[in-house]
Amino acid sequence: MRRGTVYTETVVYLAPERFAADVPYQVAIVALDGGDKLTVRIEGERVSIDDRVAEAESRDGVAYFRKTT
Amino acid sequence: MRDFRQVAIVGAGKTAFGAFDGKDLRTLAVEAGRKALANANAAPEAIESFYLGNFAGPEFTGQNHLAPYISTALGMAGIPSTRYEAACASSGAAFFQAFFAVASGVYDVVMVAGVEKMTCQPTPRVTEILAGAGDCATEVNAGSTFPSLFAMIARRHMHDFGTKREHLAAVAVKNHSNGALNPDAQMRKTITLEQAMNGRPIAEPLTLYDCSLISDGAAAVVLCAADRAREFGAKPVKVLGVAQASDFVALDRKPDITTFPALRAAARKAYAMAGVGPKDIQFAELHDCFTIAEIVAMEDLGFIERGRGGFFSFEGGTRRDGPMPINASGGLKSKGHPVGATGAAQICDVVQQLRAEAGDRQLARHSLGLAQNLGGSGATCVVTILGVD
Repeated sequence: MRRGTVYTETVVYLAPERFAADVPYQVAIVALDGGDKLTVRIEGERVSIDDRVAEAESRDGVAYFRKTT
Repeated sequence: MRDFRQVAIVGAGKTAFGAFDGKDLRTLAVEAGRKALANANAAPEAIESFYLGNFAGPEFTGQNHLAPYISTALGMAGIPSTRYEAACASSGAAFFQAFFAVASGVYDVVMVAGVEKMTCQPTPRVTEILAGAGDCATEVNAGSTFPSLFAMIARRHMHDFGTKREHLAAVAVKNHSNGALNPDAQMRKTITLEQAMNGRPIAEPLTLYDCSLISDGAAAVVLCAADRAREFGAKPVKVLGVAQASDFVALDRKPDITTFPALRAAARKAYAMAGVGPKDIQFAELHDCFTIAEIVAMEDLGFIERGRGGFFSFEGGTRRDGPMPINASGGLKSKGHPVGATGAAQICDVVQQLRAEAGDRQLARHSLGLAQNLGGSGATCVVTILGVD
């Protein structure tokens, strides 16, 4: 399971048609433990920069991360 | 810089920017092209090559093969006509190519045009087309939109440097106050800091007032070898420096998203070519697709130290009467942002200031100006330095 730290994030209110049902949703760039960065969707509780997160699932090639304590 | 010829701009023309139901893509481009020719007092037959900047004409309108589609309508059948695509820096990239075609001696007289017709699509579809300038397989697939990419830049800039929400709003307030005086601007109204702070959220922390507009419009310039400039009608403007650079398309590939390395690289080269530095530049048109982009650009160009762009803006440093006037035209925020036209339009706006033809927006110091055009979240950048004697 991939883990990392939130490098930056936003909550999207205006989305293309294919994501319209998800609005508002949170997108983050996560600095993965090990060095790479990854753009992910955040599930559950909203996150802020420097929060620790872990991968919860992967759907349609998109990683969904959740806040960890 | 090698031994290239000097190049001058001898004609500039723009359409108004806005939502124009009755004007299709070609009509807009032809209107700008004719204005540039008339401004140069040049016949279409004088143009030897045509460089078109356009981001997504096929997606917005269905029409492809746009450069000859437009150049023939301008009465320029027969000459090389090619479209350049570099997202929102498309006509900056076209200008860069056109400059070197003249500087190298291949042609004496060429035209650069930029055009985009966007309002024919509903906003969610526009958002989707614009997202195509990002990395579709990764960041876009995860739900990133262009506002969201710049929102993430803003969040990190706020975290690292203490940039505040009201600093972003101050950029929008200033650009609207300039655009209100621009007869060609799409949104000619002033806004208050409170309005800008409390706009409808688009991608936190950005509100509607942090985002540039969805626009139709076109712009064109005629470039020529400087030693032939006197053959044309309008006061020539010297192209002192122009440079283009590139970077990763995906924002998450960049080590630090609070700076645009392509902008820094293009600026360094353009300054060296022109033999000037940031302190010499008297005014600039910067690519404020989102308020944070103007703040990062002024830092990357060296107008202000890193991290201080938001504070400088909030303190009034970039107003028309400030030490470094930025976007006296109203910028993309108020003037409008027909993406493929923006690079050429910025050059037209700098030319207008240099010729002292900017009316109520005319700046006190106007002999050396800079235009900066950004594509995507920083994957293409073009910096152009223009001057008059």
